[in-house]
Amino acid sequence: MSNKKLEKLMTDLADNPLSDGASLSIEMFDGENAVACIKVEDRDEFPIYMTVDEGQILCITYLFGDEQVAQDKRAKLAEGMLLMNVSIPLSAFSKIGNQYIMFGALSPESSIDELLNEIETLSDNVLEAVDALKDYLKEAV
Amino acid sequence: MSIFKKLVTAVRGGATEVGEAIVDTQAIRILEQELRDSKKALNDAKTNLTAIMAEKMGVARKVKELSEKIKEHEGYAMQALDKNDESLATDVANKISEFEYELNIQQGILDGYESKIASLSKMIRQTERNIQAMDREISVVKTTAKVQKANDLAAAKFSGSNSSLRSATDSLERIKARQQKREDQAAAALELESEDKGDDLQARLKNAGIVDSASSGSSVLERLKKQKENS
Repeated sequence: MSNKKLEKLMTDLADNPLSDGASLSIEMFDGENAVACIKVEDRDEFPIYMTVDEGQILCITYLFGDEQVAQDKRAKLAEGMLLMNVSIPLSAFSKIGNQYIMFGALSPESSIDELLNEIETLSDNVLEAVDALKDYLKEAV
Repeated sequence: MSIFKKLVTAVRGGATEVGEAIVDTQAIRILEQELRDSKKALNDAKTNLTAIMAEKMGVARKVKELSEKIKEHEGYAMQALDKNDESLATDVANKISEFEYELNIQQGILDGYESKIASLSKMIRQTERNIQAMDREISVVKTTAKVQKANDLAAAKFSGSNSSLRSATDSLERIKARQQKREDQAAAALELESEDKGDDLQARLKNAGIVDSASSGSSVLERLKKQKENS
């Protein structure tokens, strides 16, 4: 049931550009049709993974792994994320395994417009967040 | 232990084991079995409650009838006393005492049913809350499972490609550069467009004879020669 719902959402999303005209490319990510991979035009580096079940639609983007975090700034990074968390519209930080992520959750009854808004906001938030957090990452010069 | 606590404990125990610890399909199966058991218990309790409520209504009717009969017979006894028929009054009084005895018993049964109904209702509410909590837990576990799987897949995909270990900051820089390029292109296009319009204006001015249309190589040469003479 969930899979059909996910497939329906994917078709609906593919038919709708974002408010700034950017298009979405969407493909099924896994063999079991449980996870969809959504790429916002020009932002392929941060794909959004979408799952659907009875309780929620979940949109997740991977920010960076533990190995990218400057070891002496881990605590500061965590605190920075916590401090930012509430102010960020619709999205929140979390961690899966050794990956830092940003995610948003919606009711499974959400409209396609709400989902589009979620994806657009999450994509914007991810860029803002990486920009804000890059001082804690190793690559920061 | 609550599912949230389990998650935190598992994460503390070692990041790589999160998947196995939480997203063990066995755990989901156990939770789902518990959920089914609870739902069955809830159904049984509801059926039970309905039956008890029906019985209670029967007893309540009896209590009401007995109370009415007692009142009625009290009236008869009074009338017998009024007529000084002591023996009739005694008979009626005996009847009343029988009714009262029966009423006592039925009232006791009724009270018993009421307290049973109250405790069953409480249990049903409790079970419903438990079921909701379990539904939430299963949802958390399943989502974690899916996310974990997506994570594993993503990791495999990234490490397999030559863009492995691409860093978040590099990615951000690339996206920003692309965005900048787009903006530059748009700005350049705008500029070109306005230049085109400028050319057009120039041509129209020349056609109208407002701007000197003879400005050419020869006229420039002429001007330079004059400059040389003067210097």
